[in-house]
Amino acid sequence: MNGHITREEDFDLYALGALDADEKAAVESHLLSCADCKRKLAEAQGRIAALGLSAPLVPPSVQAREQLLRQIRAGATSAAPSRSETLPARGARDTRPGGSPAARRWDWFFAPAFAALLVTAGLLWVQNVRLGKQLEGLRASVQRQQRQIEENGHLAHLLSAKDTVTVSLEPMPGMPKGAVSVMYNAKMGELMYDGWIDPPPSDKSYQLWVVPMEGAPISAGVFNPATSDEAHWMTKVPAGVTAKAFAVTLEPAGGMPQPTGPKVFVGPVS
Amino acid sequence: MNSETGAQLTPTNAALIERIVARDESALAALYDRYAAMLSSVLNRILRDTQAAEEILQDIFYQLWRTAAQYDPARGSLPGWLLVIARNRAISRLRRRNPAAGDEILENTVVLPFNLESAVAQRQLMEKVTRALGDLPAEQRTAIELAYFEGMTHSEIAQRTGDPLGTVKTRLRSAVETLKRNLQP
Repeated sequence: MNGHITREEDFDLYALGALDADEKAAVESHLLSCADCKRKLAEAQGRIAALGLSAPLVPPSVQAREQLLRQIRAGATSAAPSRSETLPARGARDTRPGGSPAARRWDWFFAPAFAALLVTAGLLWVQNVRLGKQLEGLRASVQRQQRQIEENGHLAHLLSAKDTVTVSLEPMPGMPKGAVSVMYNAKMGELMYDGWIDPPPSDKSYQLWVVPMEGAPISAGVFNPATSDEAHWMTKVPAGVTAKAFAVTLEPAGGMPQPTGPKVFVGPVS
Repeated sequence: MNSETGAQLTPTNAALIERIVARDESALAALYDRYAAMLSSVLNRILRDTQAAEEILQDIFYQLWRTAAQYDPARGSLPGWLLVIARNRAISRLRRRNPAAGDEILENTVVLPFNLESAVAQRQLMEKVTRALGDLPAEQRTAIELAYFEGMTHSEIAQRTGDPLGTVKTRLRSAVETLKRNLQP
């Protein structure tokens, strides 16, 4: 194939892997020298890749994640093995007395031995402090990861539940722009906020509200997108409360117990 | 976000890749948490073997850990790249063949015109793709699924379904045209 690939579907069929060997070879030979067709193929690869999302949701096991992180740590350990071990060893060897004629005298013998002992003790103390800090960091990391695993479990459960609804919140006229949706499962009493909104004025925050069937709105979180392009979080809806709508309002920084500012986004639970 | 029940701002994929390059394993864990379920679903659908699926999943993220410095977010979509690699490796294992020599090059250039950095966005695209496939005539959907999830070529699909090769080619061509139209962002 010397000219351009003229049938646009060929890019998708190539990405799909459906072309037979001779057709595939012809496409590949052209791609070697054509940047324009490579770009079209990259787009087709993306379209075809998205088809994978039609697969039923099967989250991996918790063990798979742990095993991956262990593998990474093991790799890191073997790649940089010796810094903490060689420093004390080199220090100890440098101060070893070894073979001096004066060694027969007690003072000449004890002085270097004592110095070596001091250096070794000092190095061990430094190493001990460092290991203590590392252990502290690892404990915090494990706790973070456990929390993350729990949140992911909740998230997977929420996403795969058939009775989870996605509520798209509509922007109010004249308010900051954005795109906001809430995934809500009334039975599980959980929701997930997802979206972005133009940053609020510096003295303001956005606040998400659950509007219940009865009673006053309930705060579901205060946030400020000025610190991130995108935000999502899960939160619980109080037991016995069923949401009829969700709303985002503009409130004083830090949020309010009840909505006081203008509505920015609103969406009913259908 | 300040919520009594906990919340977190989500860093972009590019920011996480930068942190992985700097050997921050929590960044890899964050990317894993973002995409592992999506990839695991594809791998399990292709392989129908949980253990094999998890092995490949682990390999992919370990490769990401080792080679993150080579990844240029400007060149393509990370979730697209992950999806292509996952599918290629699963199909290779399914069909007991080595990945084609060119695959690694092509894997690096995937333009996915969807933001998949949040679980909600993934779910919305999942619904869109499922709807788009469901709207195809049954024969076209079957042909697409045999190609995507079993790695079959035109000829192999014709052999499997007993349909003439020309018919299979026409079906697949129509199917990808329709999907392209219906999957536009």
